[in-house]
Amino acid sequence: MKLSVSQRLWVSGVAAFIGIGSLVVVGWYSSSTVSGALAHSQIIDGIDRQVTDLRFANEELRLASMDIIIDRAERQVSAERKAMLETSIKVLKGGSATVASFAKSEGLAIDASALNADVDIIVKAAGEQLPALVTGGAPDAEFDKIDDVIDSTGSRIQAVLDVVSAATGKAQQREVSVAMDQAQQSALIQLLIGVIAVILAGSLIAWQSRNILKGLNAVRRSMNRIAEGDIASTVDGTTRADEIGEIARVADILRKATVEKERVEAAAQSERLSVDRERSENETERQRDEEEIRRCVTILAGGLARLAEGDLTQQIEDPFRADLERLRQDYNAAVTRLSTVIGNVTDQSSSIHSSSVQIRMAADDLAKRTEQQAASLEETSSALEQITITMRGSTSKAEEAGAMVGGTKVQAEKSTAVVREAMQAMERIESASAEIGKIINVIDEIAFQTNLLALNAGVEAARAGDAGKGFAVVAQEVRELANRAATAAKDIKQLVARSSAEVQTGAELVTATGQALRDIGADVVKINEHMISIVNAAREQNAGLAEINTAIGQMDHVTQQNAAMVEQTNAACQTLNEDTTRLESVISQFRTKLGMAPQARAERSSMHTNTPIPPRAPVVSTGFKPAIAPAQPGQRPRTSPAQKLMGRLENAFGGSPAPAKSSTLQSSGQRVSAQASPSTDQWEEF
Amino acid sequence: MSNVIKQSGAYLEIVSFHLGEQEFCIDIMAIREIRGWAPVTPMPHTPRYVLGLINLRGAVIPVIDMACRLGMPMTEPSERSAIIVTDIKGKLVGLLVEQVSDMMSIKSEDLQPAPEIIPEAQRAFCRGIVALEKNMVCFLNLDTVIADELSMAA
Repeated sequence: MKLSVSQRLWVSGVAAFIGIGSLVVVGWYSSSTVSGALAHSQIIDGIDRQVTDLRFANEELRLASMDIIIDRAERQVSAERKAMLETSIKVLKGGSATVASFAKSEGLAIDASALNADVDIIVKAAGEQLPALVTGGAPDAEFDKIDDVIDSTGSRIQAVLDVVSAATGKAQQREVSVAMDQAQQSALIQLLIGVIAVILAGSLIAWQSRNILKGLNAVRRSMNRIAEGDIASTVDGTTRADEIGEIARVADILRKATVEKERVEAAAQSERLSVDRERSENETERQRDEEEIRRCVTILAGGLARLAEGDLTQQIEDPFRADLERLRQDYNAAVTRLSTVIGNVTDQSSSIHSSSVQIRMAADDLAKRTEQQAASLEETSSALEQITITMRGSTSKAEEAGAMVGGTKVQAEKSTAVVREAMQAMERIESASAEIGKIINVIDEIAFQTNLLALNAGVEAARAGDAGKGFAVVAQEVRELANRAATAAKDIKQLVARSSAEVQTGAELVTATGQALRDIGADVVKINEHMISIVNAAREQNAGLAEINTAIGQMDHVTQQNAAMVEQTNAACQTLNEDTTRLESVISQFRTKLGMAPQARAERSSMHTNTPIPPRAPVVSTGFKPAIAPAQPGQRPRTSPAQKLMGRLENAFGGSPAPAKSSTLQSSGQRVSAQASPSTDQWEEF
Repeated sequence: MSNVIKQSGAYLEIVSFHLGEQEFCIDIMAIREIRGWAPVTPMPHTPRYVLGLINLRGAVIPVIDMACRLGMPMTEPSERSAIIVTDIKGKLVGLLVEQVSDMMSIKSEDLQPAPEIIPEAQRAFCRGIVALEKNMVCFLNLDTVIADELSMAA
């Protein structure tokens, strides 16, 4: 428990205060209890006095009543007695309630209502009936009766009051004893608390004061030691948390400051001595260093001079002094590294050389393919032209067919008109037939009438007898003629009817023909539409072919540019080769320890540089219309390599020998070997 | 009159005509005239076969449908129908026939009597049957056919 001094004092004070406070509280509580008991006993005392008053009043009432009964001969109640009666009645009425409440609170075995009733009875008897009897001069029996009532009632009330009086005495004694018990108990408690408080406070004060004194004594002893010069030993009590600990810590700080001061003085002294010694040692060492540095510089200068001459083989083997040894190692490393770099450069330059040769081979391949492409383009172009011509022909044919279809349509329309005329002719024939029928009917009628006439003639002739014989013959002849005429008319009628039927059939056939011709006309119109569609499609195809033509022109242009690019690539290869050679000659000025001397390699690579790379001819297409801008303005115009190739092939198949040109058809690998000998003529072939 | 025909042994002039499918003939001497069909004026309260009256050059004569009179369907008159005007017991009567076919002269022997299976009343219409090469023609007894009518008309 770490407490400051003030806190310790506070703890002791608070303990004492609590002890005193508890004593006061206990005293206050016990005195209040005692005074409450006493007050209660006073109340009970008052009740006792009242009960006593009641007893007196009762007795007085009885006595007064008796007096009144005795003096009944006077026939009146004296004022003195009346006053006595009234006073007694008043006391009885007022006290009965108090007695009842007290009996209830004490739990007495009395009948409070009976008491009240008795009081009422006696009051009524003594206060009202008796004076009435006296003043009324009632008989003695009445007085005896009322005397009995008053007596008996008074004695009952008296008995009750005796009981109550005894109870009040007991209650008083009880309250007093309660008060005395309480006082005794509180005195005991106070004594107990006082003893505990004194013991607690005393022990606390003793403990705290011992603690404080112990700390103070320890600090005092330590400070005495410091004062006597013992600064090595530490101060006690610095770990305490209170003010004493504070004092101890301050004392310790003072002690430490003194110790530090003494140590610093000693150190300054020793340093002065060591500096003097060191100075003399440095002097000799510096002279030795200067000697060494001079030697190193001389050796390094020699090495650098060799390096300047291009000799990369020399290393400095003699070790330098320690701090300059790094210089020697760096020099050696630099020479080694330089030598390695030069060797690498040599290797790389030869590698670049071979790469440039490969690039040139690739460029040759590319040139060949470009030629093939140009030839293919030319073939495509001519095929396209053929297609265009064919397409144009089919277009014109389709247009002619369209025109013919138009003519057919007109003819079909004309045929329709002819059919209409034929129909009209048929109708005319029919009407003519009807006319003929009418005429025939007339002839028939005439024949009939003739027949009748002939019959009548025959009849007349018969009646005439022999004289009419000749006439009868004539009449018979006439009849026969008439019959023949009728038969002929009938035949003609049949013929006309048949002709009418035939005309009907013909009209139907003509109508059918007209319908067929109209159908043909409609079909012709449809055919015409189809022909128009075909013609339009052909025109679109023409446009498409023109676009294809343009595209092929662009392809040709690109091919030309490719050829130019190949040419540039070749030139770049040449430049690269020359640069490589120059690089190798520069590198050959260095001598290195690595295997083969650069000089030898430079000689070997010069073999390639001496081979001039001829410029490639640009590919110029002659079979194609679109004008192609030359890839480079300074280029010489040449014929198409593709055409040349084809011409050469023709020559070859034609039997004419071309031995010098066969090498161009060889593989690229063979061509590289062929380039070793200067033969620029090959390139002129393209 | 039948006696006259049998005994003459001479030729007999007849006029044949058609009624429906059948062919009949009458004596030419009974005929006054043959003329074409002309519309008739109907007469009330007459038998069905009496079609009506016609004016023949001022004389009014009755017209009888022969087909109906002989128990056949009524004749449908047309332009080619004919009315044979006959003189029967001094009275002129028009007979409507479909068509007058022929005038011919036959021998008396060619006229054969009608078979006797027909009752007398009906057999009286027919004086005989003329058998020709192609067909047979019934020779009508106009006296019997018309007599009653004329008496009625009278």
